[in-house]
Amino acid sequence: MFGKTVSYGLLWDFAVSEAVSEDQQWILSTMHKHGQELITMLWRILGNEQDVCDAYQDTFLQLAHYEGGQRPEHVKAYIFRTANNVAISMLRRKVADKRRISTAIVTGKHVTSPAKELDSKYLQESLRDCIAQLPEHLRNVITLRDLAELSYAQIGRILGISAATARVYRCKALQILTIWMSKEEEK
Amino acid sequence: MTGINKNNKCRRIRGWLSEAISRHFDPGAVWLQNHITNCPRCQRRLVSYGKVNLAISAIKSQPHKLDLLMCANAQAIGVLKHSLRHAQKAKKLRKIRPEPKLRERFGKYTSSAVNVAACIAIMLLMKIGVFSSMDTFQTQGQKVIKQYYVSRIGDDLADEIFPKDTELPPSANARSVANV
Repeated sequence: MFGKTVSYGLLWDFAVSEAVSEDQQWILSTMHKHGQELITMLWRILGNEQDVCDAYQDTFLQLAHYEGGQRPEHVKAYIFRTANNVAISMLRRKVADKRRISTAIVTGKHVTSPAKELDSKYLQESLRDCIAQLPEHLRNVITLRDLAELSYAQIGRILGISAATARVYRCKALQILTIWMSKEEEK
Repeated sequence: MTGINKNNKCRRIRGWLSEAISRHFDPGAVWLQNHITNCPRCQRRLVSYGKVNLAISAIKSQPHKLDLLMCANAQAIGVLKHSLRHAQKAKKLRKIRPEPKLRERFGKYTSSAVNVAACIAIMLLMKIGVFSSMDTFQTQGQKVIKQYYVSRIGDDLADEIFPKDTELPPSANARSVANV
């Protein structure tokens, strides 16, 4: 009797999981369709392969659990925004850690030399730090436009703003980045 | 007054510099260069914009490992539901490699395609141009000869030589309609 109940339970579980998997096949399709673009964007924001994998996993985990497994209305917008937020959170944590370490080491004073100025890695790191500090609306536009290389129209659709507004936000973001990066140099 | 004007110009140019760097308009415009050569503030800004642009380009030019997409997919699929993990699509995604976009794949053929299109366009234009000129030339020639005959031998004989029901080329008809 008990054995029968268990087997019926297993059968039921299997049926339910099959139904859910049928419903959630779109997650794999989304992964197939937008995976490459997402990876490119995450790689450019984070610059570290393990971090990229973690952010990507987080994004799809959040997508799978969106309102109890429901499909968001605009899947592309959802995954790009989520991936962006996850990546920026990771980047901010990294920047904070780096600052804590650099203040702990007294000798690790920030020295700027012409050679360092031309150092591509240094430039990339300082730009990433600055992007992480930007206000959300400007940061979203700069990452989607310059790192994910999406068009203004696509960005507008993802963020729910017009293409012209996205263009203005990018211009503003660039102005702020310019000021911050030159200040960082002067430090 | 001049100082205020200069400040206003400076402010306007500050807004345009980012656009200039993004190549939305020519940063080498004479008026822009004239201002920048005389304004140390704008010079500093231009250098800073250049640096941001350089940093963005450096970030974009950094390649990642070819198997990054595969690894990321495998890791992400690993935390999904059991049934999804074992789906046929999931197996494919675990082995997927990045593919260049269609635009990038055929990007190298763009210049050749543009050249061929330009050649075809030129040939079409030449063909249309040459034939229409020939038509016009033929019609005008016929008219001149008919006029000559009319003046020499009179209308009746000229009409016999050049009957009125003789079909004129289409371009000539169009011209005569336009003239009417």
